[in-house]
Amino acid sequence: MRKGYLILFIVFQLSCFAQNKQVLYNFTSIPQSSLVNPGADVSYKFYFGIPILSGISGNLGSSSFSAYDLFANNGVDFNEKVRNVINNSSNKDKTQVNQQLEIFSGGFRVGGRESQSYISFGVYQEFDFLMYFPKDLAILAVDGNQKYIGKSFNLADLNLRAEVLSVLHVGFHKKLSEKLVLGGRAKIYSSGANATSTRNSGFIYTGQNANSPNLYNQVISSNLELKTSGISKFTKDEYDGSIPSDIARNTFFNGSLGLGLDAGITYYFKENLQFTASIIDFGFIKQSKDVETLTYKGTYNYKGANPIFTTVDKPEDVFDEFNKAIPRDTLYNKYTTWRPTKLYSSIQYSFGESRSDEECNCKGSVNRRYVNAIGGQIFAMTMPKEPYVALTAFYKRSIFEKLDFKATYTIDPYSNKNIGLGLSGTLGKLNMYLLVDNVLEYKDVSKANSLAFQFGFNFVFQNSED
Amino acid sequence: MKLNFTHTISKVLLLVFVFSSCSSNLDFDQVNDLKLKPVFVANLAYFNVPANQLINDGELEPFYDVSEFNAFKDKFFRDNLVKAELNFEVENTIIRSFTIQVMLLDANDQVLETDSYKVPAYSGTSNIIKYPTEVFENQRLDLLKKTAKLGFVVIMDAGPPLDASSKGSLKLRSGATIYMEIE
Repeated sequence: MRKGYLILFIVFQLSCFAQNKQVLYNFTSIPQSSLVNPGADVSYKFYFGIPILSGISGNLGSSSFSAYDLFANNGVDFNEKVRNVINNSSNKDKTQVNQQLEIFSGGFRVGGRESQSYISFGVYQEFDFLMYFPKDLAILAVDGNQKYIGKSFNLADLNLRAEVLSVLHVGFHKKLSEKLVLGGRAKIYSSGANATSTRNSGFIYTGQNANSPNLYNQVISSNLELKTSGISKFTKDEYDGSIPSDIARNTFFNGSLGLGLDAGITYYFKENLQFTASIIDFGFIKQSKDVETLTYKGTYNYKGANPIFTTVDKPEDVFDEFNKAIPRDTLYNKYTTWRPTKLYSSIQYSFGESRSDEECNCKGSVNRRYVNAIGGQIFAMTMPKEPYVALTAFYKRSIFEKLDFKATYTIDPYSNKNIGLGLSGTLGKLNMYLLVDNVLEYKDVSKANSLAFQFGFNFVFQNSED
Repeated sequence: MKLNFTHTISKVLLLVFVFSSCSSNLDFDQVNDLKLKPVFVANLAYFNVPANQLINDGELEPFYDVSEFNAFKDKFFRDNLVKAELNFEVENTIIRSFTIQVMLLDANDQVLETDSYKVPAYSGTSNIIKYPTEVFENQRLDLLKKTAKLGFVVIMDAGPPLDASSKGSLKLRSGATIYMEIE
């Protein structure tokens, strides 16, 4: 059973995803770019994503070790590898998974042919997982406390959250002038399962003092709390359903509900100098379905048996005392979780006017088109310990009018040489895109600390094709 | 022509990523080799009995005490314990010598093992005795795992009488070192 958990843990480790979508951001030939900036300068008469295939994204990584470090078939003892991973990790190293699947999506222009107002909508499913490396507890499990007299093992190292949810969203963006695009998106979250244990504290301490009545001074101070929603019924003995299908049903039809907001802006200082910014998933979920909170709170000073040699025999049991000092409590209170809020911003300089060709003129637009763009982006996301921040430099090029290419160089907590490539092309009305990240790691994916990919298919109808 | 080229480029790019990505040979079965070998230290028992509690009128009636000790009720602990060491340390500042007996009792109060520790009388100088480590392995460990109670017996050897004004105390400190192997 324990091995089962370990395998599960490793599967999570292997499917680690950073949430930064630096290649998609401001890649405006892809309609889905308005999901990372609702104020992106995206235009269409209408579009719809091919159901299930319009937006599939996943990333993979962990900041302190790779699959290779643990599972390389190189003759090194597995326990040695585990120990190395523990030694090389800190409690700030994290494992992150983010997977998104668009169920359907679409958008259309409102208010006539000359209007530049757009509504977009859709439903996507998202899985989020974040766990910090529980360094002190890992040491305790591997080594025990014997070699660590005087050390406080920090229980705050236990820090994780996981959620499966579906998101129904409706967005609106409008090009107010040649210089300014504003957009916003309202989201209704439906969380099928949530587990949150991000506010733990406490310690396990073993000390040794010469003059104390005990050989060791042993204290466990525990303030552990695991909140779950939509999960507790699976842990009951009488449960005999199918967990994946129950989670899926709860995610779409019977989840804990929440609300969120995205907002974004695109502003052109000059025709070829563009600024964008967005805030994504500013919102919360009121966890209310099948909620259960487990706590272990208290302080226990373990002394061992204490014979007193008097006729009054007090039957004591140190382990009963432990359970009394740090009881396991189960609460059934609703709780609120905040979505990981993301911030993006970019500045982009375009150059190299494209040669005018006939398709361009058909649009009736007087906009100049630039072939090249370079710029920088910043990404930040809220996290329990400290925000995730990534910096990106990018180069975009229109290879043809209907084939755009973007390359990114990103420095993030997982890598300082994360190169991403993206291609978006339109064949007739079919828009296809493929974005990958950390391309250098593809030469040996098992050694990658993080990988990301994203692809999808949309049908996009432009004015010129009326 | 242009569309064709677009098509080709996207196909090529896709193929590049599908086929250029390699992976070292990984062996996930190694998980089965996982063996944790933590070593824990913990208090076992302690007491501090003042001399005036050991008043006797010449009869050498032993003092005894039995404490519940339920650590081995836990199956996980029992199954993964491969070795245990018990350390005893006694400080005697009473002018009498003692024998301290530590008894391991099972749930039915049957004695599984008795260990005796001679404690010399206090003669004005430091009198702290660290006894050799008791190592529990194999059959002796199996007996230890049946332990449900710890019995302590203090037997006073012959010597000058103790009364309410007698000075000093008999202190015991003990700890366990627990070797686990978790697979």
